[in-house]
Amino acid sequence: MSARKIGFLILLLLFGAVVETTWRVREDGFMLGPEGCRVLGGRFYGPSFTFEESQSRVLPGGEVLRVEVRNEFGDVRVEAGDGEEVQVRLRKVVYLPTEEKARAFAERIELRLETEGGRLRVGTNRGELETGRDVGFETHLELHVPPASVVEVGTDHGEAVVEGVAQAIVRTSFGDVQVKDVLGPVSIEARHGEVRAGSVGADLTIDARHGDVELERVGGHSELKVEHGAIRARNTAGLEARVSFGELSVEGVQGDLLVVSSHGAVAATGVRGSVDAETSFAEIRLTGVGGDARARTQHGGIVATDISGGLVAETSHAGVELDRVAGPVEVSVQHGGLEARALGRGARVRASEDEVSVDGFAGPVDVVVERGGVRLTTTAPVVWPITASATDVRLVVPPGSRFDLDAESRRGELRLDLPGLGALSPDEEGRSRATATVGGGGEPVKLRAEGDVVVETGPAATTPEAP
Amino acid sequence: MTRPSFSPEGVTLGTSLIAIGVAWTLANLGRLDLVATLRTWWPLLLVLWGLLELVDLAMRRRSGRS
Repeated sequence: MSARKIGFLILLLLFGAVVETTWRVREDGFMLGPEGCRVLGGRFYGPSFTFEESQSRVLPGGEVLRVEVRNEFGDVRVEAGDGEEVQVRLRKVVYLPTEEKARAFAERIELRLETEGGRLRVGTNRGELETGRDVGFETHLELHVPPASVVEVGTDHGEAVVEGVAQAIVRTSFGDVQVKDVLGPVSIEARHGEVRAGSVGADLTIDARHGDVELERVGGHSELKVEHGAIRARNTAGLEARVSFGELSVEGVQGDLLVVSSHGAVAATGVRGSVDAETSFAEIRLTGVGGDARARTQHGGIVATDISGGLVAETSHAGVELDRVAGPVEVSVQHGGLEARALGRGARVRASEDEVSVDGFAGPVDVVVERGGVRLTTTAPVVWPITASATDVRLVVPPGSRFDLDAESRRGELRLDLPGLGALSPDEEGRSRATATVGGGGEPVKLRAEGDVVVETGPAATTPEAP
Repeated sequence: MTRPSFSPEGVTLGTSLIAIGVAWTLANLGRLDLVATLRTWWPLLLVLWGLLELVDLAMRRRSGRS
């Protein structure tokens, strides 16, 4: 047999293989979807035809109605209606190549309403129709229920909207969720989709895996758990959020705020209660906190402004910036510095590197910096103990300050710009130390540095700065 | 005297192209399912080619005797 014939035989067999493979793929090979459509991202695509069916049910009045809606492929929308009647509209979307085929199939799709006491179950007969996967179809449900109803919605592939009812419980797998104007508690569990909740009168619980969460005007306590998505919240009561791989932005919290995050920035503004925020690889920014605040992060900075209570800040590989903190401050920074202004009740600072600057403070100050300088400035009369240990230390106090000074420079210059004191000569080992009673004496001021120690007289004394 | 050129694979290829073209056109017109039709009938190409090879062999033997 010639090479030409062998080549032609291979060509023919290849053609047959392609045809056979195409046939198998279309029939049952790679799950491309039912006849006439494709399934991508949990939704059908292709030619489709829509048919509608409506039913209503009047239930005995005077009792709280529980409406349970179950759907698989299709949206669910539940709104408050008038009176005790429940109205249900089913929109069937059938994915088949011709309208005749689609209509014939749609006639087999039935709306199911089952009552049991004060409970109404709404769904379709999808489970009975799905003997194979040869037809794709969606069932979209729209309900009008009594406003006092407790609504429970479960849908796998579709959006869920619940409005104006007494209580809402929503579970979705692939689809957005929107809940608003609910008087009672709301519970939402979403796997893939955005979640929006607004005007909730009681507690709110959200468990979301992939998708952003947005909430507004929540009267009760909010408990959020989000794995891959951002959280935006405005005007809520107490809020507790656990988030991974997403930012959290909160504005207007009437209670306490607790945030446990990782790999996401935290920003909170206008928190009436206390704040406890923790994250990593991102910044924490707190503005306007009515109570105490605690911020812990790694590889991210901390910025806190207008804190009415005390503040505990811990971070690494970034700096801390504070402005107007009324309560006592405790800062721990690894590989970063501190820049603080207007601390109302002093500070305890531990830093491994970089500069620490406190401009305006009232209250005891205790600063230790392993490799970096310290600059402490106050315009209020010093009536608190001050301790500073760093590479270089500079203290600026107003005239008339009264304290007992104990200053030592191990290898640098010791310069005291105070009445009756000046530059001191080092001893034989290069060490300079001075102890003095300034202004008649008072609280101890102990300054230690490897390099220079400078104490200066600054502007005239004022009342202690406070937020 | 040389006999007229006759190539079984050439005839098979030509017939195949015509058949596929006709089937594809009918499928576009909505008259048949292209994949299902090809999947059912494509082995006939092998049969056609085999028959033509036999005809070619017979013709060569006949021309060898004469």
